[in-house]
Amino acid sequence: MTPQAVEAVIAGLKAAGVSVVCYLPDSLFKELYPALDADPGIRTIRVTNEGEGAAICGGVFLSGKRAALVMENSGLRASIEPLARMGMGAGIPVVMLMSYRGDLGENNWWAVPHGMTMEPLLTAMRIPYRVVDEAEKAKQAIQDAVTWSYASYYHSAVALTGGLVR
Amino acid sequence: MTATPAPERMHRFDCMRVLAPMLKNELVILSLGASVDEWYTAAPHMRQASLFQQQLGCVTPQAFGLAVGLPHRRVVSLDTDGGMMFNLGILATLANEQPKNLLVVVWDNECYQSIGGPPTHTAQGRVDIAAIARGAGIAEAHTARTLDDFEALCRRGLVADVPFVIVAKVSQESFRDVRRKHSDGREDKYIFVRHVEATEGIVIMGPSEHN
Repeated sequence: MTPQAVEAVIAGLKAAGVSVVCYLPDSLFKELYPALDADPGIRTIRVTNEGEGAAICGGVFLSGKRAALVMENSGLRASIEPLARMGMGAGIPVVMLMSYRGDLGENNWWAVPHGMTMEPLLTAMRIPYRVVDEAEKAKQAIQDAVTWSYASYYHSAVALTGGLVR
Repeated sequence: MTATPAPERMHRFDCMRVLAPMLKNELVILSLGASVDEWYTAAPHMRQASLFQQQLGCVTPQAFGLAVGLPHRRVVSLDTDGGMMFNLGILATLANEQPKNLLVVVWDNECYQSIGGPPTHTAQGRVDIAAIARGAGIAEAHTARTLDDFEALCRRGLVADVPFVIVAKVSQESFRDVRRKHSDGREDKYIFVRHVEATEGIVIMGPSEHN
């Protein structure tokens, strides 16, 4: 990610009032994670899998603070179980920011499944999402996701792709 | 020569009746199964302050998230052996993050009681959740086998400024004379959130822009 893209993402999180980020690092967001760690306005929590991060974000919601789960889109697969239980069973929302591994332009065979499964899983989970490939649109997309999740009390997602993450 | 009879296991409901009077301003998140109605009955004064969640593997992570958001408030996770084994990674995360306001109680009855009692991984006597927690880096992780031990550990855990884990080895019986909770997960969330809002003086789920 370029410094401008990292800045846009962090600006979006802050504009949306996010003060806690749970993450499991990946390669496309490589530059984002240390920037989040270094930001005094954001508490980062490193998790062992994304499902654990989703549940922690749910707990943060219950405290009145705002959290985001930042991850590669493969983490969506690991998160489906807690997302279904929290979102559909209790109305506890999680806002997700994920890198779109496996999108057109992907040159790693192992990442192709991430692209094939991400959007169908989001649709199956009835999670609205926006795919963003320009830094100028990242900030607004993150704000919009948080706004929607605090109106619906359900999960939302922003997937960053293309030149934004490569 | 006669074999020494195994000591009788603590009952989870008795443990709850020990813990409940110690709680006042704390917030509780608890796991699924019979413990839901047991806690509802054992701690009537904590009903609004307890989030009843039917979420295997989510209970302690959610309690930790709540503790992160409200660092001045003590949070109690009432988890289970099945729930903790479902997501052992949270123990490593707690060790790294060192929350100063989180007590985790694991009701270890060595079975999946809510579906009729098939054994969990702790049933064979080899798997020790407190030892796993210590290995993950949580220094204050203990096993309670008597009510006296359980009470003493709760007293320590409720004032500790490090993550504190109590694995309570309890019997497989559930307490039958309980008052059933009628609400579902969604209503439980609203009750809990409104309690947090009222006691913290904050807005979590506010009004819409237009009516």
